[in-house]
Amino acid sequence: MKKLLAVLLALTLLVPAMAAAEDKAAASPKEFVIFSDKNAKDNHYIPSGWMGDYGDIKMNDQTATNPHGGTTCIEFIYSAKRSQTQGWAGVYWQNPANNWGNKKGGFDLTGMAKLTFWARGAKGGEVLQKVLVGGIKGTYPDSVMVEMGPIELTDTWKQYTINLVGKDLTYVNGGFGWTTTADLNSNGATFYLDDIKFEVDPNLKPEVKKQQAMPFYIYADRSSIANHFVPSGWMGDYGDIKYDGSSKEDAYLGDTCVKIIYSGKTTQGARWAGIFWQQPANNWGGVDAGFDLSLATKLTFWARGAVGGERIEEFKVGGIMGEFSDSDSATIGPVILNKEWTQYTIDLKGKDMSYVIGGFCWATNVDNNPEGATFYLDEIKFE
Amino acid sequence: MLVACSFLFIFFVSAAQAAKPAVYIQKLKNQHYRLMVGGRPYIVKGVCYNPIPIGMDYDYDWWSDPNKPWITDGKLLKQMGINTIRLYQTHENSEAVKQVIRDLYKLYGIRTLLGDWLGFWEYPCPFYGDRKFQDKVKQKVVEMVDLYKDEPGLLGWILGNENNYSCLGHVNPWSSPEVDSEPDPQKQKLMRAKIYYSFVNEISQQVHKLDPNHPVGLGNGELVGLDSAAKYCQDVDFVACIIYRGKTFGNLFRSLRMTFDKPLLLAEFGADGYDAYLKKEDQNMQAFFLQSQWAQIYENLANSKTGEGNCIGGTVFEWTDEWWKHAPDSPDGWKIHDTDSSWSNGSYYFDIRAVGNKNMNEEWFGLVALGEQLENGLNKRIPRKAFYVIREFWGKPVIKKVKGKKAR
Repeated sequence: MKKLLAVLLALTLLVPAMAAAEDKAAASPKEFVIFSDKNAKDNHYIPSGWMGDYGDIKMNDQTATNPHGGTTCIEFIYSAKRSQTQGWAGVYWQNPANNWGNKKGGFDLTGMAKLTFWARGAKGGEVLQKVLVGGIKGTYPDSVMVEMGPIELTDTWKQYTINLVGKDLTYVNGGFGWTTTADLNSNGATFYLDDIKFEVDPNLKPEVKKQQAMPFYIYADRSSIANHFVPSGWMGDYGDIKYDGSSKEDAYLGDTCVKIIYSGKTTQGARWAGIFWQQPANNWGGVDAGFDLSLATKLTFWARGAVGGERIEEFKVGGIMGEFSDSDSATIGPVILNKEWTQYTIDLKGKDMSYVIGGFCWATNVDNNPEGATFYLDEIKFE
Repeated sequence: MLVACSFLFIFFVSAAQAAKPAVYIQKLKNQHYRLMVGGRPYIVKGVCYNPIPIGMDYDYDWWSDPNKPWITDGKLLKQMGINTIRLYQTHENSEAVKQVIRDLYKLYGIRTLLGDWLGFWEYPCPFYGDRKFQDKVKQKVVEMVDLYKDEPGLLGWILGNENNYSCLGHVNPWSSPEVDSEPDPQKQKLMRAKIYYSFVNEISQQVHKLDPNHPVGLGNGELVGLDSAAKYCQDVDFVACIIYRGKTFGNLFRSLRMTFDKPLLLAEFGADGYDAYLKKEDQNMQAFFLQSQWAQIYENLANSKTGEGNCIGGTVFEWTDEWWKHAPDSPDGWKIHDTDSSWSNGSYYFDIRAVGNKNMNEEWFGLVALGEQLENGLNKRIPRKAFYVIREFWGKPVIKKVKGKKAR
């Protein structure tokens, strides 16, 4: 009897211990799948977050045309027709569907080291501006924001990896996303994605920010894959600004330049306006995503006024302050523009360009441009 | 003979020591800078001091307050570990000023940095290009130096504050016929900078003649214009920068080394203790920023292994809250601890989501809050968390990278 009691006692102790071990194993999977095949049981997240020119996107999530694995992959056809006049489009995989951070969802993916996916273009040469993990804001914001890109696709399957080592993955609602622009794909793009998943990888090291090679372009041409930073930081009387990144009015080099019309109408009452080129878009220092441009000794750009005499108060590199501030700043100005293209230089010698989220900026005001100002920029680059 | 030699030796050594100014800056072999006071290294652990009581504004003559706020404050300042106060401007009652300097030094060992606005708030604007204006400003500084140079509690002089911004036209813009004749606005800026920094240099030379015993600092907003100062203002002994960059000073120390290789006093920096987004006091937020800022100051002191070695300390803004600041033209507002934010600074990111991104609360920068109840005739002093956190840091400075979360 005593022996039976001992066995029962031992079983009582062992069974919960074994169950706990199973729970732990279940809680520590080697991968976390976003998409493997249509209707696969292990799929997570929904490609519900259509952004920008969502009317330009067609999705077939069960195309059988040459999948990478299994029987299906996802086909995206991006028409670049600018249906919503945004000039860009993209899709986020969300949990639950359509969750822009307004409800609690997401997954705790702590322990995952990377996100991998396979992609190919229908013809090759299609460009994804960037692919993303996290970054959805709102009441329940993602704990992480990592992006990679631009990516020029090939016509054969290729695997891409986003390193997540050291990132806070405790809450990920935007599991994966891609964006692209009409400028980068002027004739549209058809591309395929497959086998998108988070993976454990104990051998992967945290990504070390690499020093970017020079020249490092902010703007070369509208469709250039070499472009970096996004002209998203509209400041002051932002309603006074019209921005055209595809102007063909006498570009300095290539086929396009940037055209800016500042009306000086003081729409927001600030009496000044300006644009920051940011990395990523709308980053006012809240996202840890700066480029290491330590090799840069200057930023050069070409500028001209529509009539000449337009006064720009300041052209600037860096200077965005936030949790992740630019490591330095440098300015020139006021500058009175010529009617002819003129090159300007912001000297960066001795500056700390190791972390740059605000790549370039201009600002002007109505006091010095009472009738507004129209001006053009081209070939903005670090050298 | 031996005795005679010993006397001579002692005499010469004493004479050599006596030749050293009471306060001076030493450049070390490793190119680092340190402040020397009475022959010993001195880290400025300071605070900007302007104890305006609730219901009064900047015009209030606290120097003549019979309740002597500096006596009450001095005790707390000493408890915290503060060894220096910064006064932006002296008062016309020179005996009262001397009394403040003496009391703080004799009772608590606290030294004083004295400043002058250099006419920055003159109406309609400071005409730095005008000789008469220059003479008037210079005369005022000379008088200040004459009056206080022999005070044992004096640590040094600071000329101006953020006056350099006027050269850009950002605040209190000014010009001169010479500047107006230049059509290129960029060159105009440089011309104004040349005029301004040359003028400060002149004053600095004058101060040195009158008082060889104390260093002269150039008050400067950020590092703006210091490339011009490097050309025209070499006679100042240190730069006293006003910096609001949140958690980190970034590359400030290295950048100064590259542009104007002078010792750096962080003459004004800090964080407010009010969360403009959540609309409530947040002492943790203030303590978080201040601890991080002081850690960086220490990281860049002389003989630091990792920093630039060009920092001599800081005077944090500020000792007590000032309730008049948000609505300076409305006496009723001076009695209210205003929670409206007046400006935006993304570096103080915890409350940057406040309406219009306005997250900086001018009336909440005190290390010490003011209570409406009176103690010894003064508004009660209520130390904030930063008071204790910084005291602890100074007691045992540990320099480590601060991550982006507030301590709780």
